[in-house]
Amino acid sequence: MKQEQLMQNKDSILKARARTLAQEPEQALAARSFIEITEFRLTSETYGIESSFVREVYPLKDFTPLPGMPSFVLGIVNIHGQILSIVDLKKFFNLPEKGLGEFNKVIILHNERMEFGILADVILGTRSVPLGAIQAAPPTITGIGAEYLKGVTGERVIVLDAEKILNDEKIIVSQNTE
Amino acid sequence: MDKKTDEFRKRLLETFRIEAGEHVRAISTGLMELEKEPAGEKQAKLVETVFREAHSLKGAARSVNLPDIESLCQALEGVFAALKRQEIFLNLALLDLLHQTVDGIAILTPYAEMNQAKPGQPHTGDLVRQLDKAAKGLPMPKKPENPVPRPDVEAPLMKTDMVRIPTTKLDPLLLQAEEMIQVKIAGNQRAMELQEINSAIALWKTESDKWKSRRFSAAEWNELLEWNEVRLSALQNQVAATMTAVKQDQRVLKRAVDDHLEAMKELLMFPVGSLVEILPKLARDLARAQGKEVELTIQGADIEIDKRILEELKDPLIHLVRNCVDHGIKKPEERTREGKPPCGAIRLNFVAKDNRQMEISIADDGSGVDLNKVRAAAAKLGLRQTAAEKKPDLQETLQLIFYSGISSSPIITDISGRGLGLAIVREKVEKLGGTVSVESQTDVGTTFQFLLPMTLATFKGILVQVRECMFVLPAINVERVLRVREEDIKTVENRETIQLDGQILAMARLRDTLELPAWKNGLAWKKAPGQPEASTMPVIILTSEKKRMAFLVDEVMQEQEVLVKGLGAQLKRVRNIAGATVLGNGRVVPVLNVHDLMKSAVGSAAVARKETVTGATSVKTGRILVAEDSITSRTLLKNILETAGYQVATAVDGTDAFTQLRSNEFDLLVSDVDMPRMNGFELTTKIRADKKLGELVVVLVTALESRQDKERGIEAGANAYIVKSSFDQSNLLEVIRRFL
Repeated sequence: MKQEQLMQNKDSILKARARTLAQEPEQALAARSFIEITEFRLTSETYGIESSFVREVYPLKDFTPLPGMPSFVLGIVNIHGQILSIVDLKKFFNLPEKGLGEFNKVIILHNERMEFGILADVILGTRSVPLGAIQAAPPTITGIGAEYLKGVTGERVIVLDAEKILNDEKIIVSQNTE
Repeated sequence: MDKKTDEFRKRLLETFRIEAGEHVRAISTGLMELEKEPAGEKQAKLVETVFREAHSLKGAARSVNLPDIESLCQALEGVFAALKRQEIFLNLALLDLLHQTVDGIAILTPYAEMNQAKPGQPHTGDLVRQLDKAAKGLPMPKKPENPVPRPDVEAPLMKTDMVRIPTTKLDPLLLQAEEMIQVKIAGNQRAMELQEINSAIALWKTESDKWKSRRFSAAEWNELLEWNEVRLSALQNQVAATMTAVKQDQRVLKRAVDDHLEAMKELLMFPVGSLVEILPKLARDLARAQGKEVELTIQGADIEIDKRILEELKDPLIHLVRNCVDHGIKKPEERTREGKPPCGAIRLNFVAKDNRQMEISIADDGSGVDLNKVRAAAAKLGLRQTAAEKKPDLQETLQLIFYSGISSSPIITDISGRGLGLAIVREKVEKLGGTVSVESQTDVGTTFQFLLPMTLATFKGILVQVRECMFVLPAINVERVLRVREEDIKTVENRETIQLDGQILAMARLRDTLELPAWKNGLAWKKAPGQPEASTMPVIILTSEKKRMAFLVDEVMQEQEVLVKGLGAQLKRVRNIAGATVLGNGRVVPVLNVHDLMKSAVGSAAVARKETVTGATSVKTGRILVAEDSITSRTLLKNILETAGYQVATAVDGTDAFTQLRSNEFDLLVSDVDMPRMNGFELTTKIRADKKLGELVVVLVTALESRQDKERGIEAGANAYIVKSSFDQSNLLEVIRRFL
C-alpha cells in the first residue's frame, strides 16, 4: 500500500515537472517587452544600439582610408578576411566635432541587406531595457535627427535605431562615373 | 496556424522551391532538345524524360498543397502522354504552349509561400484548358501577335543560396579539419612550455637577487658562477626544445592551412554548364517574341570555374545574348534574302587557357555592329573628339560601344538599346580581373570575347605607393613600368605628356587623379639626410580597352598575387576603386579600377595643376610629430595639422616617438598622455633630459582632466596641455601657432 502511494506520488511529481518543462520559457514573454541594447561611448555621450543588429565588436588597430570618400566613411578594415567599411556616425549625423575620443572600437552592425562598422570609444556592455522605459527624445537632447532615434532611456542613454540607419539610402556610397 | 506549423511549412516550401527549380530546368532543357529532334526513337525517349519530370513535379506540388502548379503539371502530363501514344505530334505552336506553361510554373514557384496575387502570374485556368485541348489533338487558338513580355523567369529560380556538392569533395575537408585539432593541442602545449620557461626565469631572477647584497669569497664566486651556468644551460635546452617543436608545428600548420585552402577553392569550382544551361531557352524565347529564329549552341560547358566568378558572369552573358538577338540577328525573311540560313546561330564557347585563365567567346552570324550609328551616338555624347573621328579606326570605334549611352539601336526596346548594357558588361568583367574585346564584320557577325581568371586567387597585381598610401594595379592593365626625369615631362595644351618609343603619351600624376590631399612637399624631409633626391620618377603605362596612358607614382613596389574582395555592402560603387586586397602583413590595400582612373585623369588634370601651384605657397614651415596610440585620433590630428599646412609624421607610442625624434628634425611634438610602452609624461621627461631634443616644443593632449595631471604635465616640462573633452581643431591650431 505504502509502496503504491509512493509510486503515485512519484508519478504526480514527474507529471508536474513535465508540465513545468512544457511551459514556454518566460524569456519568450519577456522579450516582448524588453530589448537588449549594446551601450557604448562616443566622445562624451553614451549611446545604445539594439544588440540584435550587432554582429560583433572589434578592436580598431588599423584602417585603410579610401580616396574620394564622403567624410563619414573612415575607411576599410579586414575583419576575419572580410573587407568592411567603417562609418563615423558623428560625421554622418553632422554632430559638432568637439572633443577627441579614443575611437578604439568598431561595432559591426548588420541586417540581411547591409553591413558596416561604426566607430566607438568604449564599449560599456549590453543590457536589457524595458521598452516602456524608452521615451521619445526631446529635440534638444541631441543633434541626431529624430528619424534615427528610438528614444532616450531613464539613464539618458540615447538609443539609436539600428534598422533605420542600416536601411538608410544616404549611408550607401554609390559614385557614378559615367 | 501556430508558429511551429508555420515554420515547418516554410521549410517545406523552401525545399519545394529548390526541387521545383530543378524539375523546371530539366523540362525546359528537354523541350529545347525536342525542338531540334525529328520524330523517332530519340524523340520518344526525350518525351519520356520530360513526362517523368512533370510527373515528379506534380507529386511534389501536391505534397505541399499548391493546386495551381499541380493542375498545370497534370495538364502537361496529359500532353506528354498523348505525344507518347503518338496521338498528337509536336509543332512550333505546341512547343510554344509547353514553354509558356513551364514558364508559368517557374513564375508561380518562388511565390509559393505567399497567398496573394503575383506579378506576371499566368492564368492557370486558360493554360490548362489549352493544354487539354492540345492533348486531344484539337486545333490550338492562334497565339497573340505580341505576347506579353514576361518577367525574367530564370532569375527567381536561379536565386538559391544552396549548392550541391559531391561528398567526394567534402570528405577530405572533414579530415583536414580534424587534423587541425592536433595543431590546436600543440599550440596549447607550446604555451605551457613557454609558461614554464618564464617561471624558471622568474625564479632565477629572485634567487640571484638574494646574492646582490652579499660579499663573496672566492669559493662562493665559483659556486655562484657554476649555479648560474647550470641554470642557463637548463633554460637553453628548454628553449631549444620548444623552438624545434614550434618549427615542427609551424610546418604542420602551414601544410594544413594550404591544403584546406586548396580544397576549399576546389569546392567552389563549378562547371560553367550550371550557369549557361538557361541561355538556349532565353535566346529562343527572346527570338520568338520578335518573330526571329535563333539557335544557341554551347561548347566547353564542363570546364570548371570558381563559383564566385560564375555568379558574376551571369549578367554579362545574359546581356550579350540579348544583344545578339536584338541587334545582331535579323528576321528569317531578311536573312534568307542575304543568303543566310533563316535560323540565326549564336555560339557560346568556353576554352581553358594556360595560366588558369579561361576564354569565353560569344559569336553571332548577324549583321555586325553598325559603325556609323555608333559614331553618330558617340558624337551626340561629345565623345567624338577622342580619336574615332580623326581617324575612324575600326577597333577604336568598336571600343566605343562599351561606353554607356551608346547604342546602335534606333529604338529602345525592353530587351536592350538603352546603351548601358555593354558598359556594365565591361565593368563586371574588369572587376573580375578580366578583359573584354569585340570584333565585328558587317553582315558576317559580331564576336565578343572575355579573358578571365578561373579562380579569384590568380589575380596578379602591381603594388604602388603614392604619398603614404599603397594601391594595387591589376597587372593585366599594366603594359610596362619605366622611370622618367622631370625634364622629360612636357606640357601640351596644359596636359602633361611623355614620349615613349616615339609616341606621345598623356601622363597623369596618380596623386592628383585620386585627389589625395595636396599637402606638404613632405617626402623629401622624411628621407635620411644625405640621401639624394631621386632624379627619376617611376611611371606606369596602363592600358584599358586598347587606350594607353602614363601614370606617375611615388614608388613601384612589387608584383604579387592578390585576391580581390568587395568593399562591403555600404560601399556599392566607389570611383577609381574596384575592390581591396589583404597583403601578407595584414595591411588592406585598395585595388584600382583602371578604366575609371583614365576617365578621372582627364577630368582632374587641369584642376590639379592649378592646385600644385597655389598649394606650394600655403605650406607652413613647421615639422610636427604626432604621438598617439589610437589610429583614428592619430589620423584626425594628422589631417587637421596637414590641412593647416604643417608637415606631419606620426608615432604609435612614446618609444616610437622618441626614436623618430632622435633620427629626424622636428619643431614640435603633439603627444597623447595615455600610451603603451612609454606614456606622454615619461616621453616629455626624456625629451627634456636629452641634449639634442631639450628645446623641442611639447604639446600634451589628454583625456586626464584633473589639476594634478595638468601639474604633472607642466612639471615634466610640457609647453602646453590640451584636454581631450574640450578639444577642437581651432584650439589645437591656436596653441601650435603660439609656438611656431
